Order: sequence, then C-alpha cells, then structure tokens
Amino acid sequence: MRVLGIDTASRTNSIGLIDGDRVAADFAWDARDSSLQQIIVNTDLVLKRSGLTLAEMDGLAVGIGPGSWTGVRIGVTVTKIMAHAVNKPLCGISSLEAMAHQSKGASLLLCPLVDAGRENVYAAFYRVRGKELTREGEYYAGSIRGLTERVKEPVMFLGRPAYLYRGVITSEMGALARFGSPSDTPSGSVFASLSLPRFAAGVADDALSLVPLYLGESLAQALLRKKEAEAGGGRGSRPDPEG
Amino acid sequence: MLVLGIETSCDETAAALVDEGNVLSNVIASQIDLHARFGGIVPEVASRKHVEVIGYVIREAFDSAGKGHSQVDAIAVTSKYGLIGSLIVGVSAAKAMAYALRVPLIGIHHIEGHIFANILSNPGLPLPHVCLTVSGGHTMLIHVKEPGQYEVLGGTLDDAAGEAFDKIAKFLGLGFPGGPAIEKLAGHGNRTAINLPRPLGRSRTSDFSFSGLKTAVVNMFKDSARQTLPLPDIAAGFQEAVVDVLVSKTLQAAQRQGVSAVSVTGGVSINTRLREAFSESCRRRGLQVFFPRRDLCTDNAAMVAAAGAVRLKYGEVSGLDLDAIPNAPLESIKCA
Repeated sequence: MRVLGIDTASRTNSIGLIDGDRVAADFAWDARDSSLQQIIVNTDLVLKRSGLTLAEMDGLAVGIGPGSWTGVRIGVTVTKIMAHAVNKPLCGISSLEAMAHQSKGASLLLCPLVDAGRENVYAAFYRVRGKELTREGEYYAGSIRGLTERVKEPVMFLGRPAYLYRGVITSEMGALARFGSPSDTPSGSVFASLSLPRFAAGVADDALSLVPLYLGESLAQALLRKKEAEAGGGRGSRPDPEG
Repeated sequence: MLVLGIETSCDETAAALVDEGNVLSNVIASQIDLHARFGGIVPEVASRKHVEVIGYVIREAFDSAGKGHSQVDAIAVTSKYGLIGSLIVGVSAAKAMAYALRVPLIGIHHIEGHIFANILSNPGLPLPHVCLTVSGGHTMLIHVKEPGQYEVLGGTLDDAAGEAFDKIAKFLGLGFPGGPAIEKLAGHGNRTAINLPRPLGRSRTSDFSFSGLKTAVVNMFKDSARQTLPLPDIAAGFQEAVVDVLVSKTLQAAQRQGVSAVSVTGGVSINTRLREAFSESCRRRGLQVFFPRRDLCTDNAAMVAAAGAVRLKYGEVSGLDLDAIPNAPLESIKCA
C-alpha cells in the first residue's frame, strides 16, 4: 500500500511517502519558509524522487493538528482537495497521536504537548497496550498546571513544550514526570504509516468534510460566548453616540 | 476553454465553471448569518468556515454544470487582495486541484475579478471604459483599457463605501450586513430631509473618503435638536450622500478619460438607489452605464474564472508556489 503523508500543523512541515512497509521518502522544511508556497512544490518533489504520481497512491494522510491554525488549514485543505480530485481515500491523524506513536516503546503513560501560547498547551494522554496506542480521556486545552493536576502516575511528556515548561512540570509533579526526546516532531511518513491500519480496515475520512482539530476558539468567539452568557442588559432604542 | 474559478477572499466560499464566457455554474456559500452575530466579519471564523465547506462548494460547481474533473482546462483562484486567512484556503484548494488534475493554475487579483463580473454580464460592454468597484472591502476607480489592461485612477483613503454602510447600520442598531438594512430603512425615508457632507466631492482626484461622513452621522445624535429625526430619514440621507459621491466621482473620471461608458461592480452595486442615480446621471451626460447580473455583484468565482481565462490566453500562468497576498496592487497582463 502506498500512502502520502502531509503535515503542516507545526513549525516543521513535512511530507513523507510509505510504500509497503518502507519509508520511500521524507522531506521536511521550516514553516517560516511558507507552508502555502512549499506544500505542492514539495509534494511534487517527494513523488518525483519516488518515481510515483499522485494517481498511483492508495490513500492520503494528513496531520489535523492541534497546532498552528493557519498552518493546519493549509495541510488539511490541500490534502482533502487532492484526495477528492484523484478520488483516493483520506485519513486525518491527530498531531498528538503522531507524537505519542514515536514514543510507543515507553511503557508508561504518554502525554504529547503542543504549544498553545501564554503558558497554555494542547495535550492528550495515550497508553500503549501491546501494539495498540489508545487515547485516555478527552483532548486537553489549557494551562500547563491544570494539566499536571490531572495525573497521579508516572507520565512521559513529549514535544517542545515539555522542554519549555520543564521547570513548572517538575515542580508540580516531582519524580512522576519523565521527558522524551526533545526533537520529536513527527515526519510525514509517521502520519502516513498511522493511516495504514485505518485504510486496511476501510475506515477512511470523508474528503469533503474533514476539518482541522483546533482545540481552541478565536478571541471573538470567546468574547461573544461571554457576552451572550452575561446578556440581559437591555439597550435603548436610540443609538448611543459614545457607544 | 473550461475554467474552474475559486474565490475565498472574504466571507463567501465560491466555486464556478465558466466556458468561453458562459457561466455553467456559480456556487456561493455565504457566511453572512455566521458573522451577523459578531456584528462584522471575524477573520478566524471566516477561515474555519472556508475549510469546512470548500470541498462541497467545488463538488457542487461540477455537479450543477454537469461536468467532470477531467474536462477542466485550468484553475483560476483569487490569490491577491482580501483577508489573508481566507485567501489561503482558496489558494490551497486551487493548488491541490491544479496539481491533481495536471492543469494550469492562475492567481487572480480580487478587483480584476469584479471588473470581469461586468464583462461576463454585458457582452456588449464598450472598451475602454471606467469601472467603479464598490463593496465592504474596496472602493476603486479603474480605467479599463481592455480586458487585462488597467490603470487605477483612485481609491478610498479610509473606509470602503460598503464598510461605511456597515458601520452606520451597526451604530443605528440595524445589524450586519449594513447595505441591505440601510437600503430597506431608507426606502421609508426622505433623502433630502437631512444634509450630510459629500467628502472629497469637490476635489479633482478620483479618491474617496467615507470616515468623515460616518462621523457626521454619529455627531447628529449629540445634537439634541436633531435627536428627534426619524431614523429612515437618516438612513436615506446617508445613503444619498454615499451614492452622490460615488456617481459624481465616477462621471468625473469618465469625462477625464474621455470614455463613453462606465461600469459599476461589487457588493454595493446591487443597491437600487445607486443603480437609479447612476442611470439618471449617465443618461443626462450621454454615457452608457453597466451593472453585473445580480448573482455576480457580490463575491463569486465565475468572475475569477473569466479573468483567469483571459490571463491564460496571454500565457500568464502561476507557479505551484503561488502565494496569497492580502494587499497587492492591481496589475495588467504584461505580455499583451
């Protein structure tokens, strides 16, 4: 089975190709060099280097975040429209799952972290059972302290924020906190390989409806929600010039 | 030549198939209701909605035209001028489609799209002519020498005309979008009951300014004697002031360029009073005036596809590294 995997949700963008049980190609670039400008150019590069075409793929996989909202929109839109155009199955993979997958060898609870700014993170807990990786509970979006309060057993923190907030995590959790490799951004081929069992089981995503996993809302949405919750104060029928 | 157009520069997700000037499909998913709750367009909300619906909109453009992917000769997309987050989604989709179908990709300036809304709607549109593009995002006067050859004569120095409508509607508590709300209320008012300024009305440039007009309306509510003025009269007086400036500046530009025709395009060109005033004034001056068909006034992808077809004929094709640029100047076709 041949699958192209694309991820533009993080600072390192990547495209990889899985052909059977081997990684045929993996190419990464810095998102600052433009996700939008590079994504098709590098898709073409990976396919040409592999001597294959998009039409020869059996499926397409894409990182759906959480991560950069703009970045993940580029990857998700490009991959789903390509899948729709060449009529290939599509699989969206969470960036957190891809990060956890890379540390599957560890026999403790895994907690991949994605930076959400202002000491906030996106996170989830994953447990390895045999060959299976299962998420425990819901996705998390909030402060790093709010996250550490939830754990009562040894946890391996993964991702760049694990290093950014290592001090806070250690002071809150002491010896329960472990830390994975600092360079654990998953490559495109990881996203592709994670999709293989899903394609094999026939559980593809719908190419038209796939959307990013944001785990957060815009400031305007948050303010509106707050305003609507506080609603009740009536407004006069005449406009207020100072308003 | 069958061209797929894609447009996501602001708050409409649109896709269309155009074949040699014939609009085979023109699909527009409007986000107006979504943004109305916020009283204006929220860029992050718009970007998310574009990703959610873009695939369905493209599929519908093919289905309703009765065409298949393999029949498309090129993909044109609005890549310049608009909200960056919104533009990015359309450009991503267009690139993916062009690469997958192995057809040329053409990046189009949003304003050039609006110019083509009139060319598509009126096959007899004379050239050269002066085009006024007017919406919530832009107010521009352009000397259209021929399709693809432009000279920008002027634009707004502050708010776009449609933006002024939105802000006054918000101030009067009429909701978003402001254009239709003001027009409806103005229908019950007297347009000469109040006297509002015509900003830059006497200046010899082709530039516009609407923020002072907005302030003038707001200030009327600080004057207790005027507090009793009926809102319909305020709406009608405000609309008249905007229309007056748009008409006089466009006719002035037409005279200076020595053209015999003008065209008006963009979301505000759907306004009935604007159309009426343009028709009256142009008739008096012996000028022809053209408007797009109603479904091509607001943002749409048919106009983008039409512009793309012309650029492609002159060999202007974009690379797969096409970028989205929110503030790009309108450029003519170079190799013509």
